[in-house]
Amino acid sequence: MSLYLAITCIATSQAAKLDRSPEALEKGATIYHRACIFCHGIAGKGDGPAAFFASSYSAPRPKDFTRKDYKFRSTISGELPTDQDLFRTITNGIPGYMPPFEGLTETERWNVIAYIKTFSPAFQTEHVNTLITLEMPPRPATSDSIARGRMMYLELECHVCHGLDATGHGPVHTQGDLKDNTGLPIQPTNLTNLPSFKNGASPQDIARTILTGLDGAPMPSYASAFSSPDTSIWHMVNYVLSLSTATQP
Amino acid sequence: MDADSLTRNLLRCVRILREVRVSLLPNVSFLLTRLICAAIAVAIGVLSTVSVVPDADAIPAFARKYNVTCTVCHTREPRLNTFGERFLENGYQMPGTEDGGIVGKKKLGDVTLPDVTDYLAFRMRANAVSMFNVDEQDADTGPKDRTLLGSPRNFTLLGAGTITNNVGFFADTSDRAVITLNNLGMHNLAHLRIGEFDPSAFYSHSTRRQQLGIVTAKLGGASSLMLAPAAFAAKFSGLHDRHGALIDPSTPSLFNTESEVGIDIHGRPFGDWFLYQVGVLNGEGEGTSDSNNSKDWYVMGRLDWAQSNLFSANISGFSYMGTNNATIAAAGAPGHDADWNRYGVAATIRYQMFDVYGSYTIDRISGLSEATEAVFDTSASGLTLQADVIVTDRLLMSAQYNNLDGGGDRSMRLRQSVLGLQAKYFLRSNIAIFVRNDLNLRSAEESPPVHHAFRHALLSGLALVF
Ligand code: HEC
Ligand code: HEC
Repeated sequence: MSLYLAITCIATSQAAKLDRSPEALEKGATIYHRACIFCHGIAGKGDGPAAFFASSYSAPRPKDFTRKDYKFRSTISGELPTDQDLFRTITNGIPGYMPPFEGLTETERWNVIAYIKTFSPAFQTEHVNTLITLEMPPRPATSDSIARGRMMYLELECHVCHGLDATGHGPVHTQGDLKDNTGLPIQPTNLTNLPSFKNGASPQDIARTILTGLDGAPMPSYASAFSSPDTSIWHMVNYVLSLSTATQP
Repeated sequence: MDADSLTRNLLRCVRILREVRVSLLPNVSFLLTRLICAAIAVAIGVLSTVSVVPDADAIPAFARKYNVTCTVCHTREPRLNTFGERFLENGYQMPGTEDGGIVGKKKLGDVTLPDVTDYLAFRMRANAVSMFNVDEQDADTGPKDRTLLGSPRNFTLLGAGTITNNVGFFADTSDRAVITLNNLGMHNLAHLRIGEFDPSAFYSHSTRRQQLGIVTAKLGGASSLMLAPAAFAAKFSGLHDRHGALIDPSTPSLFNTESEVGIDIHGRPFGDWFLYQVGVLNGEGEGTSDSNNSKDWYVMGRLDWAQSNLFSANISGFSYMGTNNATIAAAGAPGHDADWNRYGVAATIRYQMFDVYGSYTIDRISGLSEATEAVFDTSASGLTLQADVIVTDRLLMSAQYNNLDGGGDRSMRLRQSVLGLQAKYFLRSNIAIFVRNDLNLRSAEESPPVHHAFRHALLSGLALVF
């Protein structure tokens, strides 16, 4: 029974769906100016008129689209997100900070994606070549699997930030050393509060978060830690999921 | 928040209070400053022992529905930021969308079932302790110093949301009930409100969204004392509504009323830079019927600049035309129907942690006989200026200046300037405690006895929304 996670690098051409015609970009701009500008700002710098208030002196501020470090990706750390990644973020929103935009039609969402990509030249010059795919189905959350996940949690030193009790109060954080790329203090996620996960709360979502890391935030990518056949990301995921079921029966 | 930053905040707040006091009020007892600072120190001290879990904010209806924190829409509750203003204008739908039929709905066949917690909310404001200090007056009939203990009775249950796309509603147990029909004709061309609502909801200085809440206190003597923004006030002494009830000159009224029955329409047909609003109301104190069968009208226009640099600014002006909307019974003059009109301008500038806003209104009463005008001053004005500063993620400091040059009965026109200072500490984005002091800066000689005697008030309490 060789259950292991395959991390595969696949050259991918971007979503065939993305229409970059001038008409589509113009529609995207209109939607952006109605729906996104208040937080992300007219030039996409994350400095919209309402950008200060949600988190004020702490992270996160709205994304600066002129920078290429995106948090919610299926790509290797350091790379741009795919169009599908952006589509997922815009559709689901970001718990706590950005509302879901499922009220825009799919076409409108693709149009606005085409438009926000114009803020960073990286989207024109760099191709997203690499995808981390999760090939294997999740493993059942047996107590053995959860215990192995807890071991990994300690071995990989997740607790340094997230804390031994996983509520987000690890020593690195309480010393006040954690900042995001804008220099603002950032709170490690309380891993016992599943609904607050920004990158999604399904087993696949959590695996993606741990493997890709959240670029721009101190949450590192653990892709290399899970690349060998005998370490399964699913133990880690099962452990993280168990933290919330334990506190929210 | 750690002990260090608490101490820093405290010192900063003490310094600000001192500076303001020293520069503006050289001769008010030093005790006052000490009192405010002590109260803030106690409040913050008590709070620092309460463990604050920043990522566990409990969130009221809209926040629950969209799964975001309160401050996505508010600068600090209850005041809206630019994004929250556009959400409200769009009939409780995300700006740029018509998502009322989708978000927060469960689909069961062709029926959509809303999740009740996405619609219901609960609001409570309580002044736990209020201390009113007045000058010595006639011992039997004059107002007296009072320390009032409050009960959290001032609570409201409210339901709000969307029924389907572009159909919204808001109703609460106190005084508002409104249906909205949105995006009529074209996106953001026209939004209709029908029911009992606050006309100034989209104005640069909205009546209902006050960091320094409206306070009424009975201090003995003839009338009660109301602390409310002067620009919104009724301003005239001896003015009665159409049912004959005396209107307190401090009460928010006309365009700036907290709620009246009517219909209005607003939109931004040319883009984000310009908002129009026109409306018709039954008029002051009139419920669903209208005792005079005449209506009041208003128009409002607003210019906005909201693009980048954590900056936004807007300016608005309105004109409110009343028709037989008040009656006058000044000393010696017979009861008399009158047209009570108001003209106003307001502006807001926000930059990073600063939110500075204010409004000025002029009220005029016409249709009076010469004899009545001899005893009744037919014009009045009110000015309110406010600055809110977000000092830390949890601490909001506010200063509000009010100047009322009231009219009406010439023997007791309300002439008053009040400065209010407040520190509001948010335990969660939806729970705050506050300490506030309001100071009468003018002796208000002509004014009604209670306003004349009023020196200052120290208020402390709690505001929460679930
Ligand atoms: C109420 C404010 C707000 C609005 C409105 C808003 N966003 Fe965001 N958005 C944010 C915040 C805050 C973040 C950063 C969250 C974080 O880093 O945790 C963000 C992040 C993003 C990201 C980056 C996610 C990543 O991978 O790092 C994208 C893409 C995005 N927003 C797109 C949009 C689009 C498109 C719209 C308009 C349809 C929009 N946003 C409207 C607040 C907002
Ligand atoms: C250097 C500090 C640090 C370490 C080490 C760290 N994290 Fe994180 N993690 C963070 C921060 C900060 C965030 C919050 C990012 C944000 O909100 O934008 C986060 C977020 C998360 C999230 C939630 C993402 C979401 O969807 O909102 C998960 C799950 C997570 N970490 C798991 C782990 C696991 C498992 C490990 C160890 C393998 C780990 N983290 C190690 C700092 C760290």
